[in-house]
Amino acid sequence: MASTNGTSVIDLHHVEKTYKGKIHALRDVRMQVHAGEIFGLLGPNGAGKSTLVKIMMTVVRPDRAEGTLLGHPIGHKPTLRRVGYLPEHHRFPRYLTGRQTLEFYAALARVDKPSRRRRAAELLNTIGMTGWADKKIATYSKGMMQRVGLAQALMNDPELVILDEPTDGVDPVGRRDIRDVLLALRDQGKTIFINSHLLSELEMVCDRVAILVQGRVVRQGRIDDLTADSRRYEIVIDSAAPPWAARQSDLRVEAGADGRSTLICKGVEASSIQPILDRLRADKLTIVSVQPVRETLEDLFMRSVTDPKTGRTLAPGAAVESADAVQEPTT
Amino acid sequence: MTVFLAMLLDAYRELNSRKLFWVTLGLSAMVVVSYGSIGFNEQGMSVLFGLRQVDSEFVNSTTPWARALYIGIFSDFIVAVWLSWIAIILALISTCTMFPDFLAGGAIDLVLSKPIGRVMIFSIKFVMSLLFVVLQLTLFCVGIFLCVGLRIGEWNWMIFSAVPVVTVFYSYLYAVCVLTGVVTRSAITALLMTLLFWFSLWGMQTAEGMLYQFRTRFEIQAEKSQVRIERMAQRLDTFNLGPDDAAGLIVRADLQYRLEQEQAERDTSLDAAASLQTWHGPTEFMMAVLPKTQLTVGLLSRWLKDPDGFSIAAMMRGEMTGTGTSALMRDPVDVEMTRRLEKELDSYSPWYIVGTSLGFEALVLAAACVIFVRRDF
Repeated sequence: MASTNGTSVIDLHHVEKTYKGKIHALRDVRMQVHAGEIFGLLGPNGAGKSTLVKIMMTVVRPDRAEGTLLGHPIGHKPTLRRVGYLPEHHRFPRYLTGRQTLEFYAALARVDKPSRRRRAAELLNTIGMTGWADKKIATYSKGMMQRVGLAQALMNDPELVILDEPTDGVDPVGRRDIRDVLLALRDQGKTIFINSHLLSELEMVCDRVAILVQGRVVRQGRIDDLTADSRRYEIVIDSAAPPWAARQSDLRVEAGADGRSTLICKGVEASSIQPILDRLRADKLTIVSVQPVRETLEDLFMRSVTDPKTGRTLAPGAAVESADAVQEPTT
Repeated sequence: MTVFLAMLLDAYRELNSRKLFWVTLGLSAMVVVSYGSIGFNEQGMSVLFGLRQVDSEFVNSTTPWARALYIGIFSDFIVAVWLSWIAIILALISTCTMFPDFLAGGAIDLVLSKPIGRVMIFSIKFVMSLLFVVLQLTLFCVGIFLCVGLRIGEWNWMIFSAVPVVTVFYSYLYAVCVLTGVVTRSAITALLMTLLFWFSLWGMQTAEGMLYQFRTRFEIQAEKSQVRIERMAQRLDTFNLGPDDAAGLIVRADLQYRLEQEQAERDTSLDAAASLQTWHGPTEFMMAVLPKTQLTVGLLSRWLKDPDGFSIAAMMRGEMTGTGTSALMRDPVDVEMTRRLEKELDSYSPWYIVGTSLGFEALVLAAACVIFVRRDF
């Protein structure tokens, strides 16, 4: 078994894919996913997320794809024995039961029979489907299908789990269960790659994220790092801002319609705002609130999909040849 | 092997879930029961388990024609009508969705993401899709085998040759279904294109057969004319005409006239044969490269044929030899034509029939496989 490239379980370079009609689904994608982390891939509809996942899983043939998956070149079929995959909108044969489904796909992953039996029982229990194990898939709800789909992706005890919209159609209880499973997997040292629209879900579990817009990775890194620039303190006072505040370079003043003002202080350290608070008190101004503010993943996402020149959200879908308004990658 | 067995089990479960599989099996059982209801006794034959008796001096348990009729009903009617048409159409309807369903978004991703090469996935899926026919045929042949054994006391294992023969025949058509299914991912389009291809094949084979039949008939007529011409020419050459033999002159003139008529008939027949040859040649060439569905199924009749020549075909020609009765008189041209056609059909070796057909099938499947392997899903 080849070793992974350092700590990168997924190490992609120059991944490109153009569909018929000159639709650039992926343009020079570079991405690294480290061992033992939960990595989230975000992007608007048609950004190329599923195409990227499908290229890794050999479902789609890339125009160009350099790099490795678990230490082997992209497209190396035997490596897929060590990968679990849940596709978006997966369709299991309706004539199989949940247990038969798990055992069938595990057999295709070349898992031996005793292991299939054992893993199926274990995973059905893990996802809370033991009672439905021997009922036909045709009778399952969408949420149940997703649970079985997740179990299917874990049948070969994979080192890397790739999930495309794993909580699609799942109720809040189910989402929490899936989240717990993912965290437990990470604790076992597995690497998890999630492709999802649900930013709040990702924010709760992901260690690192990448944002894909029109086929390009425009942001990649730890959520804390990506949102560090946006960290600030907001001080709300019950009157107009004092004149000295407007002259301070590290302060921005926003006047409220209710007569209040907000002083926005860039920085992450609480000590940096103490002199400002002292000065406000010295001016006998009433401080209504002081709160640290950090950009959410949704804010970061929206910033990433907004054209900085026009301030408008970029059109959904894959990139076309003239669409060069995508920001440069930040890693 | 794990993958193969998993896909085999899955294919069985898929078939098991299809109502049409059980409907076809039920219909097959009815055919077998009907076949088994035919029996022979010393007076003749009985049908519907003795409900109706048909007395016959030719076909009864004491003559070899009983065997010929019973085996012939299987090879010439059940195989030719039920297995070669009705059951195949039901099988196509039942299995035409297999590849399009398999290639549907969300289903194919799960399979392609496993550590199995696409060529192997395609190959196994194709072979597994033939399982429908194999299962149906095997059960059907077991029934027929028991009927033949119990009714005429002949435990004829060659009956089971229907399993590979009809499966191979079905696979010619299913290859087209798979190609269309892979290209369009539409089950109904795949079915319609397969039926269109099948009927085109049938039309072409029938046209080729008819052209050959007519050409042979004209050739035989020309040959027979030639024999008569030679005979008349010889008579003319040796015709001794005495002096003042008015009657002889008339006879000679008549002979000369008939000779010319015969020559004209021969030339007409030769022209017609040559004219048909210009049409028959291309159709024969086309049939050389296309699947030979009729000839493939015809192999069964050949293999189940009575070594002493007792057959339904012989009965229909009125050649019930061996029963002490004389053959019914028929047009000698027809008799000769039938003999030549049968000889022509028997001249094609099973290897040629199946080999060239499988060659075509391999090309179709290769095209489908290339599309499957190169496609993004």
